Amino acid sequence: MELSISSVLVVLALGSAAVAAAILVWYLVKRPPLMWTTKIALLLGLGIFPLATAATGNVVGFQHTMSREFCGGCHVMEPFTHDVGNPSSLTLAARHSRNPSFGDHSCYACHEDYGMFGPVTTKLNGLRHVYEYWTRFHSMTIEEALPQIEMFKPYPNKNCMQCHSTQVPTWYRVPEHAALDREVRSGQVSCASAGCHGPIHPTTDGVPL
Amino acid sequence: MKLPFEINPQRFLRLAAFLALAGLAFMVWSLVDPRPIPIMAAMSVGQGLGTLSLLIFALVVLDDARRASKQKADKDQDSG
Repeated sequence: MELSISSVLVVLALGSAAVAAAILVWYLVKRPPLMWTTKIALLLGLGIFPLATAATGNVVGFQHTMSREFCGGCHVMEPFTHDVGNPSSLTLAARHSRNPSFGDHSCYACHEDYGMFGPVTTKLNGLRHVYEYWTRFHSMTIEEALPQIEMFKPYPNKNCMQCHSTQVPTWYRVPEHAALDREVRSGQVSCASAGCHGPIHPTTDGVPL
Repeated sequence: MKLPFEINPQRFLRLAAFLALAGLAFMVWSLVDPRPIPIMAAMSVGQGLGTLSLLIFALVVLDDARRASKQKADKDQDSG
């Protein structure tokens, strides 16, 4: 069995929670007088161990929010997450997901905001996704939802350029790249445009679902 | 600084213990069932309850220290 850092953290978090709960239940059942030993026990049960649970739980939770399984937790994302996990799919998203560098967290790797505050803005956008899901898409069938799903903003070319430097001679050797160099760098033309490298995912009007 | 309410240490600490247990339940839920709602609940409600319980504990400890210091001052004054 492979032991990942995440599973070790889960065990640590659950262990801390169990110790904290044991101390608190002991206090509630025994009702000891408030001596210094009781205060120390409560400091552990109300402070140290719950803080350890919260800290390790945050790391585990944050790691899990990067996983494809998490993105597929909203049922309207299933056509996309199923496609990228399909070994025979030829969509750009699926081909990238077969690369171990993207792997199980391919949704996050391609859709995260890069830069210093990237993780923060990505999580804030994620909250907006949750809001949209619970207010609009939750009660819809996948067929009803798909035509209405759209990105909040155009997919930024700089996300592609995190891996594809676009500086090598072979990139310029493609006539379209050379002709649209300025437009691609300024974001006027998207790498994900239909006819260029898009559509990235299966769509209702392009690649069959 | 005098608080606008009387602190009953035992009652406050029992409340803190219940709040902490509830907060821990949310955190454990997110660990064993890591879906969007449990994770968001743990990071908001769970940690909020945990923080509140710790603040109540700190309040009780500070109030206890204040009372002990006042009692000592009164005793010193009586003996002096």
